[in-house]
Amino acid sequence: MSPVIEVQNLTKRYHDTVAVDDVSFTIQEDTIYGLLGRNGAGKTTIMSILTAQNFATSGEVRVFGENPYENAHVLSQMCFVRESQKYPDDALPKHAFETARLFFPNWDQEFAERLIADFQLPLKTRIKKLSRGQLSAVGVIIGLAARARITFFDEPYLGLDAVARQIFYDRLLEDYTEHPRTVILSSHLIDEVSNLIERVLVIDRGKIIMDEATDAVRDRAATIVGDTTAVEAFVADREVLHRESLGRVSSVTVLGTLTAAERASLAAKGLDVGPVSLQQLIVRVTQHAAEAADAAATAAPIDEGALR
Amino acid sequence: MSRTVNVVRMQLVNRQTYIWVPLLVLAGSLVITLAIYAILITAGVDGPKYGGGAQAPLWYFGVVGIQALTLTFPFSQAMSVTRREFYFGTVLTATLTSAIMGLAFVIGGLIEQATDGWGINGYFFYLPWVWEAGPLGAGFVFFVLALLFFVGGFWGATIYKRFGNLWLTVVLVGLTLLLAGLAWLITQTQSWGGVAEWFVAQGALGLALWTLALIAVLALISWRTLRRAVP
Amino acid sequence: MIDEGRAIFLQIAESIEDAIVDGSLPEESQAPSTNELAAFHRINPATAAKGVNMLVDKGVLYKRRGIGMFVAAGAQEQLRGERRAAFADRFIDPLLAEARALGLDADDLTTLIQRRYTTTAEGTAR
Repeated sequence: MSPVIEVQNLTKRYHDTVAVDDVSFTIQEDTIYGLLGRNGAGKTTIMSILTAQNFATSGEVRVFGENPYENAHVLSQMCFVRESQKYPDDALPKHAFETARLFFPNWDQEFAERLIADFQLPLKTRIKKLSRGQLSAVGVIIGLAARARITFFDEPYLGLDAVARQIFYDRLLEDYTEHPRTVILSSHLIDEVSNLIERVLVIDRGKIIMDEATDAVRDRAATIVGDTTAVEAFVADREVLHRESLGRVSSVTVLGTLTAAERASLAAKGLDVGPVSLQQLIVRVTQHAAEAADAAATAAPIDEGALR
Repeated sequence: MSRTVNVVRMQLVNRQTYIWVPLLVLAGSLVITLAIYAILITAGVDGPKYGGGAQAPLWYFGVVGIQALTLTFPFSQAMSVTRREFYFGTVLTATLTSAIMGLAFVIGGLIEQATDGWGINGYFFYLPWVWEAGPLGAGFVFFVLALLFFVGGFWGATIYKRFGNLWLTVVLVGLTLLLAGLAWLITQTQSWGGVAEWFVAQGALGLALWTLALIAVLALISWRTLRRAVP
Repeated sequence: MIDEGRAIFLQIAESIEDAIVDGSLPEESQAPSTNELAAFHRINPATAAKGVNMLVDKGVLYKRRGIGMFVAAGAQEQLRGERRAAFADRFIDPLLAEARALGLDADDLTTLIQRRYTTTAEGTAR
């Protein structure tokens, strides 16, 4: 597995805000990555910088070993599908696809046509008159049919309903299986994509707080439920991500993979062990990191909104 | 090189924008002007009539120049096109379509000459001062004007994209002040006569060449600004 | 079918092992391919491959070049042996914990098990 993208100490500063804070990571070839994080965490900024659409304040970015800026050879192998993409005035979807065909060397017209049918996209309606879902479909179809060696999907399916999203995931997986490439998927809907992604990159406030294989993280936490005293005794020396209680019963989410022996011991004590979904884990870990950072500064309330 | 040519194809993929609408605007303006001339004839005006209606499509070209940046540039970035390819491809497109406009202007003028002003002594294309240097000169003048409006719109939009609304306003206000200051200076030194003489001496063709220089300056500034613009 | 809170590749490996243990995937028969598994469970093919490769490393599956993955001879016995060893931890201990909470002693348990065993033995067509 060779690296296709290498990022070293990338920082992006806007006047007084730091959007990306000294970030370093590597993207391996032919792998699907999940770039996860809240709104404004820095996901879009990073993807823009990697595709040379935005510029770093400091740090280094190498794509296929080269600097992507104004580098047609590198850029033509990448495709960045944005959430709100602008199209030429009065353009029709078929114009957008015809143009994509001109610039993406691996464009598959047949595949595009099948996708157009799958998403029921009206080809003769002006793009500016399309519904939110149809607009997202245009972007998604370009991203899939371009078969670029590195494809970024920046939540372009936010406008799609659940059925259309499932079509997207299915087509992505099918095509990826037959034509492996590097895909970076940014999403809020972590549980929907958790089975597709091989690695998770979690960003919070411009910093990377997790860079791991998905499978390694899936059992990284557990929720222990039962008599408060017993539960507290068990979690005493562990990192608690979340705590709730109702009367004498507590539900505590702890970080750390439970061994078989520990599970047996918990069962013997009459305590229930529940799994923690990837989304819950990442939400809790992100909140936890934020709380820790804030405790270091001042006590500030955390708003859970976006990731739920 | 071929990717740059593909940018031209990208711009022209909706032929409406660059070719049909400008020609339509031109035709519409012509029809309106001829209608007015017809009215004048019935009112007894006999001499040759000249109108400035041919400028109508130029304003539209300015809008096309603006949108080439505000909408097509972000789209080109999504197509993984470099800024260099986009810039040169767009300039090439503007040149080609301005040439088409120039050609339409010349053809119109030749028709007018042949029909003695559409039979009603009314002139829309054949404005004598512009046609001093002959049909090629006239075509060149109109070509340069169309290109100026496009590049002007494009230039303004690049400033807006890169530096924002505030700075665009500052630049435009600054330019206006500069021109006003220049006018005041000329008035103070009572050189309006000299200035008018110079304009006449240059002729339409000469002024077109000076305009070409202005276009080059605007184009260069646009290029430098685009290099660091974010879609 | 895919559980949360557990590595997917382990679940894939387990589901293949389940089929081998209960005989629905006989020895020397062809195991589902990585791509078939990925499509069926709607998961990343690399994850499916990881599960399959784990079974190859264990000696439960082997590769026939150009054809695919096959169940190794003796795999069923091997897996049954593993599971017998883990049986007490996985099933007996939780059973005893619950029995204790309900006040059932060893004799009660033995009677219950005998009765249920006879009933299910009559009910199943195996």
